[in-house]
Amino acid sequence: MSKFLDWLDDRSGIRGLVKEALYEKVPGGARWRYVWGSCLTFAFFTQVVTGTLLWMSYSPSAQTAWESVYFIQYEIWGGWFLRGVHHYMAQAMIVLLVLHLMQVMIDGAYRAPRELNFWFGIALMGVTLALSLTGYLLPWDQKGFWATAVATNLIAEVPLIGPMLQKIVVGGVEYGHHTITRFFALHAGILPAALIGLVVGHIYLFRKHGIHVKEPRPKKDSYFWPDQILKDGVACLAVLLAVVILTLYFRGAPLGPPADPSNEFPARPEWYFMFLFELLKHVPAFWGAVIIPIALGLLIFIQPFIGSSKKGHQFNIGFWWCLLAGSAGLTFLAFSEDRENLDHGAAVREAQWQAERVVEIAQEDGIPPAGAVTLLRQDKENRGRRIFAAQCSSCHRYNGHNGRGYLVEDDQSAPELAGFASVDWTTKLLNYEHYISSEYFGGTAFKEGTMAKKVLKKFDSEETKLLPQVALLLSDLAELPYQKALSEEKKESLMDIFYDDLACIDCHDIDSEGEGSAPDLTGYGSRKWMIDFINNPEHERFYGKKNDRMPAYGRDKKLSTEEIEIVVDWIRSTPAEL
Amino acid sequence: MSDPKIKECVSDKSSCQADKARRLVIASTIGVSTACALFPFAAGLTSILDPVLRSSGTKKNIPWTKVTPIVNLPHDGKPAKFEIILAEVKDAWTTYKNIPAGAVYLSRNGNEVTAFNLKCPHLGCAVDYRSKTNDYFCPCHNSTFGLDGSVTDASSPSPRGLDTMLTKVEDDFVWIRFQQYRPNIADKIPLS
Repeated sequence: MSKFLDWLDDRSGIRGLVKEALYEKVPGGARWRYVWGSCLTFAFFTQVVTGTLLWMSYSPSAQTAWESVYFIQYEIWGGWFLRGVHHYMAQAMIVLLVLHLMQVMIDGAYRAPRELNFWFGIALMGVTLALSLTGYLLPWDQKGFWATAVATNLIAEVPLIGPMLQKIVVGGVEYGHHTITRFFALHAGILPAALIGLVVGHIYLFRKHGIHVKEPRPKKDSYFWPDQILKDGVACLAVLLAVVILTLYFRGAPLGPPADPSNEFPARPEWYFMFLFELLKHVPAFWGAVIIPIALGLLIFIQPFIGSSKKGHQFNIGFWWCLLAGSAGLTFLAFSEDRENLDHGAAVREAQWQAERVVEIAQEDGIPPAGAVTLLRQDKENRGRRIFAAQCSSCHRYNGHNGRGYLVEDDQSAPELAGFASVDWTTKLLNYEHYISSEYFGGTAFKEGTMAKKVLKKFDSEETKLLPQVALLLSDLAELPYQKALSEEKKESLMDIFYDDLACIDCHDIDSEGEGSAPDLTGYGSRKWMIDFINNPEHERFYGKKNDRMPAYGRDKKLSTEEIEIVVDWIRSTPAEL
Repeated sequence: MSDPKIKECVSDKSSCQADKARRLVIASTIGVSTACALFPFAAGLTSILDPVLRSSGTKKNIPWTKVTPIVNLPHDGKPAKFEIILAEVKDAWTTYKNIPAGAVYLSRNGNEVTAFNLKCPHLGCAVDYRSKTNDYFCPCHNSTFGLDGSVTDASSPSPRGLDTMLTKVEDDFVWIRFQQYRPNIADKIPLS
């Protein structure tokens, strides 16, 4: 073995190199405060390795980016873990950067003769942030798409060449294939290469000037190997543990619904850019994206010179604390505004629903060549919710919301439709108090109608006791997919109540005989009944002239037959939540 | 001009020529290696600048796109949101047919239809219509717009009102010339 090493050393000089690398003097002994640089190197190493492994399964194009990330996340063995580690290590890097920077500032390690290395460090910070920014577009999900739209629109703020620069980065006018390919080349090629180059320079300069020792020295001098390396290793292990715990806790990195320019999304950047997001609410984009960053950049650039005096050094440290506190304050403001905003909460839940739904369909039916975005667009459940929200929810509600989880600001003026025609629903319908409440007909002319005033209100207690039986009968006619059908005998006995005991038949038809002054209950709540009703509630079978504001969606061509079927199927598919 | 070399040049012609030749060699070496080093970058220059170089004059005739039956617009002038499905969208090597490419808010005044792009003219987030306050609101940076699309709150970061688009009503359908505009400038300049 030693012979082989002699041979190798003779040809390569490896012993000298290793000695040079490991026996760096650490004046004052190994200390925990020196670990951040090594942690960052370890984090970057992890990103290069996990990134390259992700690259093996990633396909950058508008039709395959989300799809390949979905495959990594849900199909490839351990893919979610690999992606999770990459995702959370990226976030750990931001935290480590701040720690490293603050340690350098507080210890004064940025001053002469280390000015150049300080600038290398600042450049490294910029490259790392650029890596983060380019990274979260790559899954081509709604978050990446909308957040990148904002970020690239900010590029246009650069004077003179801004719009041209934006086009070059976006790869055209609209976001598409070339946005992804260009961001990917930046993320996996140009930026890591720049980072490696800068790190080499950074470490070279660090070694040239040696460790900047924070006085007083706690111990006598030692060497990098093994004392400091042990501490560095322990710190790296702690970072690794934190990342693994985050990955396991959140089951990997999130993947939103596929990018869709026609589908709105509550666009928010990652948490470490939230301060900038908040800042843009208060200052013009030109200030937020150009003037303030340039002014801060210039000030940071001359900090090594400012720091040459004691007061200057204190100013520098104060500056960074203020910058951190300011960013933290803006970040807090951004998050607390979002937390208080009900619409934002609903939008986040809706996006979450879409993300889960599209995965469900992809796992069931697979993804067509046109991409996963078509899955959601064609999904009947998704379309049902959307049609309800757009067409029905200004009067009706679904579980109290608009069908997609948003609270509706207008007053409810027509019945709640979640669980329509279910036993619970019809039982309440036939209860006077519920009937005239805003949950049913309280917002309509029927509040004062015959059914309310002359029937439900007038029933004596014996008759009122029979109403739930009629409700059972009506609900059975609906043939809801989640309810069990009644036996024939049971149905017959309920019909007796309908015909004889309560004489509902005096006004309502129930057996297609075309009689009765009130809505026809033949096949009440069934798919066909609902389609016919939505098609034209003013038909003699239903409300006729007594119709109160319910549009004739089919007759007036507000919705196509297919759309009516979709919304009916969606309403009938699941019971109410409450 | 007391460069000793020049003096030398006057007195000793051969040494001067040798010096000139040496300078030429050095200049050539620097020139050749720089050219070699820059060559790969130069080879890709037009490719990376392609989005800027590519002529985009073909978009002058924006086609009319059918949006919705006009009955779907409330008579009270309240806006409703509609997807814009374009007959053809080209994205690099892919040509999509009948694809949702964006969305608009439409509102009617009699048979006149106003269309606003869903995208906030500030930085491109999707704007919401709020029925309670009867205005438009951008959930990203809090810009507010009135029903006529103009900026209503002075603290709104948006430099201009919502982007209108040409509409017409034909055969009881609303048609639109769908167009995106450059974000975050006071003037409305079409993206091309």
